[in-house]
Amino acid sequence: MISDRAKHLEDSSRWGAWMQAAQDGDQTAYGRLLAELAPVARRMAARQLAASGVAEDVEDVVQEILLTLHGARHTYDPTRPFLPWFAAIVDHRVKDGLRHRRRHQGRETDIEQVPETFLSQAANTSATDRMDLGKAVAKLPAGQRQAVELLKIKEMSLTEASAVSGQSVPALKVAMHRALKTLKGLLGP
Amino acid sequence: MNTDQLIQELSGSLAPVKRLASPGRRLGQWLAVSVPVLAAITAFFGFRPDLAQCLADNRFVIQNLTALVTGLTAAWAALASSVPGFKSRQLLVPLAPATLWLASAGEGCWAEWQASGWSNLESILHQKCLPEIVGSGLVPALVLMVLLRRGLALNPSLTAGLAALAAAATGSAALSLFHDGDTAWVTLTWHVGSAAGLSALASVFGSRLLTHPASSRPI
Repeated sequence: MISDRAKHLEDSSRWGAWMQAAQDGDQTAYGRLLAELAPVARRMAARQLAASGVAEDVEDVVQEILLTLHGARHTYDPTRPFLPWFAAIVDHRVKDGLRHRRRHQGRETDIEQVPETFLSQAANTSATDRMDLGKAVAKLPAGQRQAVELLKIKEMSLTEASAVSGQSVPALKVAMHRALKTLKGLLGP
Repeated sequence: MNTDQLIQELSGSLAPVKRLASPGRRLGQWLAVSVPVLAAITAFFGFRPDLAQCLADNRFVIQNLTALVTGLTAAWAALASSVPGFKSRQLLVPLAPATLWLASAGEGCWAEWQASGWSNLESILHQKCLPEIVGSGLVPALVLMVLLRRGLALNPSLTAGLAALAAAATGSAALSLFHDGDTAWVTLTWHVGSAAGLSALASVFGSRLLTHPASSRPI
């Protein structure tokens, strides 16, 4: 028990020092910090999600935690312990994800079989393709929809889209990646 | 994009950041702007003619001192709550002065009721201080919002509520220096009541007032 506490203190102190270096722009320290924090965030998020009885994609939550930490790194005070700061971000992101999921749960319907017309040649005209794609894009979560609109429909560069949306470039990349995954699911094989 | 790629992206594009100052230091910045503004408003309207008499009255001194301390502690608590991992007991700091402020205003009403019954109650309708409190507290509120938006308020409703309480309580204390004729009923309803009402209103709109790109769901 005592060794667990000592390990926590040691981890917290090491991560605090790396975060302090990261605030000054040390990319190596930041890379190490994120690499060590990712599995910790994964464990913490998985525990909280399991306690809530939700089968959320833990990896998605871990990525959101890392993105939030990145955007909030200026708020860490090196004179204070690192773990409470990090735990607050993890807790916020998991609970926010659960709230988001509850809000959207009522509007989603699971479709076991893709309608037959979808596979027939006649149904696959360019006009209906565009219509289906438009409907599918409209069903995307706000962040993913914005990424598709800015990067694919308006054909902005990542930097331009980042300036317009206020999201970081890595956040936009993650959003775009997930949007394509969601669209693939919505539009069938 | 998998998590390892994301870590590479984030660390590869890392830029130095300016650390957020401590809540105490930001409170100092807030006061550095708010005090001269409130002094200028007071100078513009001029001290109330009966100020010397009021300052000799313990009830007046206690009511305004507790309002001022409520404002300062609420501002500090709001700033502390804009840093992830703050201790929740820090948020209780404004509770004691706010309770004393409410109690002293209530005691004033009790004394006034004993002296003259309900006759002064209608002063609530004639003397509406809400616009003056909002006017006095507007600049402190805006400055506090700017300072809070630099942090990351993970509970924006709570932070915005504390910020509104800070601005309204400070505005109420400043108002008592140049605004005369307030009965105890007016103090309770329009001063304490306005602070509570504005605080509740700000809580409702907290997430819109204090949105930080990092606090919203990125994906």
